[in-house]
Amino acid sequence: MTPTRKGTIYLSEGDVERGVLDFMKQALSQGCFDAVLIPTRVSAGDSVAYSLIRDEALLEAASPLPPIMPVQGARAISSITRRGKGNKSIAAVMRPCEARATVELAKLGQANLEDIILVTVDCPGVMPLSDYFTSAENGDRTFRGASRNWNSEPMRPVCNICDRFSTTGAEDLHVGTLGAKDGTMVLIPSSGKGESVLSKLGLSMEDNISSWESGVERLTQERKQKRNESHNGLRSEIEGIDRLLESFSRCINCHNCMRVCPICYCRQCHFDSDKMKFNFEDYLTRAKARGVVKLPSDTLFFHIGRMLHMSLSCVSCGMCEDACPMNITVGQIFSLVGDRNQEAFGYLSGRSIDEALPLTTFEQGEFQEVEQSHSVFSAKEKQDA
Amino acid sequence: MPRVLRLSKSPEQSVKEMAKFLLENGKVEGVLTLRKIGENGAVAYSLISSPDELDYARPLYPLMPVNSGKLLSLLTLREAATEPIAVVLRPCELRAFVELVKRQQGSTDNLLLISSTCGGVYPLELALEDKIEGKLPQYWEAVKQGEVSPGIRPACKACEHFIPYTADITVSLLGNKDIDRETVILLNTDRGENLLEGMSGEFTEEEFDSGAMERIRGQRESEKQKLFDETEIRNLGIDELNKAFSKCIGCHNCSKVCPICYCHLCFFDSEASEHDAVYYATQLERRGSVEAFPDTIFYHLVRLSHVSTSCVGCGMCSDVCPASIPLWAISLRVAESVQKAYGYLPGKDMEEGLPLTTFRPEEFAAVG
Repeated sequence: MTPTRKGTIYLSEGDVERGVLDFMKQALSQGCFDAVLIPTRVSAGDSVAYSLIRDEALLEAASPLPPIMPVQGARAISSITRRGKGNKSIAAVMRPCEARATVELAKLGQANLEDIILVTVDCPGVMPLSDYFTSAENGDRTFRGASRNWNSEPMRPVCNICDRFSTTGAEDLHVGTLGAKDGTMVLIPSSGKGESVLSKLGLSMEDNISSWESGVERLTQERKQKRNESHNGLRSEIEGIDRLLESFSRCINCHNCMRVCPICYCRQCHFDSDKMKFNFEDYLTRAKARGVVKLPSDTLFFHIGRMLHMSLSCVSCGMCEDACPMNITVGQIFSLVGDRNQEAFGYLSGRSIDEALPLTTFEQGEFQEVEQSHSVFSAKEKQDA
Repeated sequence: MPRVLRLSKSPEQSVKEMAKFLLENGKVEGVLTLRKIGENGAVAYSLISSPDELDYARPLYPLMPVNSGKLLSLLTLREAATEPIAVVLRPCELRAFVELVKRQQGSTDNLLLISSTCGGVYPLELALEDKIEGKLPQYWEAVKQGEVSPGIRPACKACEHFIPYTADITVSLLGNKDIDRETVILLNTDRGENLLEGMSGEFTEEEFDSGAMERIRGQRESEKQKLFDETEIRNLGIDELNKAFSKCIGCHNCSKVCPICYCHLCFFDSEASEHDAVYYATQLERRGSVEAFPDTIFYHLVRLSHVSTSCVGCGMCSDVCPASIPLWAISLRVAESVQKAYGYLPGKDMEEGLPLTTFRPEEFAAVG
């Protein structure tokens, strides 16, 4: 099979993490960038946090492919670039869904990617925080075993049905491991920035990477099918207002799903604002109208409002579900709605920095079928005619 | 002598009966209490105005989806209650509300406060698969015996303030052996007594033996010491804090659900807490590396300093923490020493000024 993309086969010793680290160290020492933003083991050893690292020696504490995602990487990039770039070239090592969210945030004006080189790695998924935090030691073991075999069962439910676990084209440089021969990784540049890293290191980009390509293709198809089946099942559970209400009935209105969401960037959500605080009289009136009002009120309104605001950019990362104290399947619900909404607009979150956000672009010809099916319009049109 | 109403029903039935009496006789316009919603076992606080809806009420259900002190603040922040309503809440929720009122975040006007001696609540995670219902017989048995129910939240196991301080009406639960047949209701205020006047039940005046309560308090105190040891928060130096908060994901949900954290926009969510490119560049130069979110411990320390005079140890922070950090123990440990230093017990007395808003020339002479 002839490869469709250009890439480099990179010899690495040890596991994926070791390989990625060695490559990043080499590139850092060769001046391909000034610093690396990368998940790093915290001193207590039981979690990771994004750190910006300049010194090669400090990179040893980094963990390019950690078992968990305590913070979505897009938020980390936004945090360090939102208030202006710093004339330092930074390579950010993250998972594909984090890179996709980063691209969406850049389009939303919440990240500046000018000096950022996005580096992604084929992703085996991440474990739910609660599973991992029960025992980091056991978690590490489970993750290592599962990720070696691309077994996504112990991972977040949305990871288990993720069909965009590899290169998405929005990153600058991708590290492929799936289907790569032992002791090798595949480096695939997706932009001029990525190519320049490889050429600075004197790496050829003409290697035959077809075994990685077919490995990715095979798993993508498998996951697509799984995703469809899972979404179809979920759809029957949540469709319609009654089922949706039931799905969110346990919600305690803490809005943590919104706070950990990489796309929800508003400093103050409408639903946390004064606009959603009412007079005593209003609450009592609402209670009297139906005999009872749940407090805090407007639970489903919040979720639908959030859905409306971010589903076109949703990358199905599952942070929301991981941070929900009530274990609501909010990540799975949003991944379903996100997929359908993006499909309707012919848009795919994080696919390309050049693809404009659907709601900021008006295309004259789009959604005519919606206008036509709208009875009010058609009645009026008939009258006008 | 304490005035008492005895009803020959179970506690939950008795509370519902009281609520029904109050609503049907127009003594209150609504009742705020836990109520079953949906079919998967979820309960949520609800403002009930129709007596029929009380059928779904679960006033003493051992779960705290929200600290209702926070809810009462939401209800009465913009205006005090314009009509009387009854509220059924736990002692720590009531204490939190008192603290919020002292901070001008609500008003007790027109609120009939019904509380109970409290056997604690289960962790939120147990509500997920509707595991609480099956535990109820065991829970009520422990309440009856005045024991700590297995499986309740650590914050509840360690709670010594299980008797409400400022309730109009207190339902006596802990250590009441006859709970299945008869409920003892203490009428602490004239308002409480007047509103229940005319209810069918036995009104008496009785003296109670406080020994039982002291025994329970002692039990909770030793549970607390045990849990403090287990969670390793005795010495909270910088190393211990680093360790305790190493798993923090920075979601700030602890502040979001905290009844005392009422700021509309937390400093740590504000623009003022963001760092610019110069900061990151400087740190890189100095130390060779910098965290993308460098203020994790700073956030927790500032939160502690802001809430510790008023922390009621309700445990909501722990219950929602995605990283299972024992926040309740850290907060309580710090709060107890701060409150001791000021001789202040949050939520005990509405008239007592907040320590940081009251200046006494003679206090802390040793420090100053």
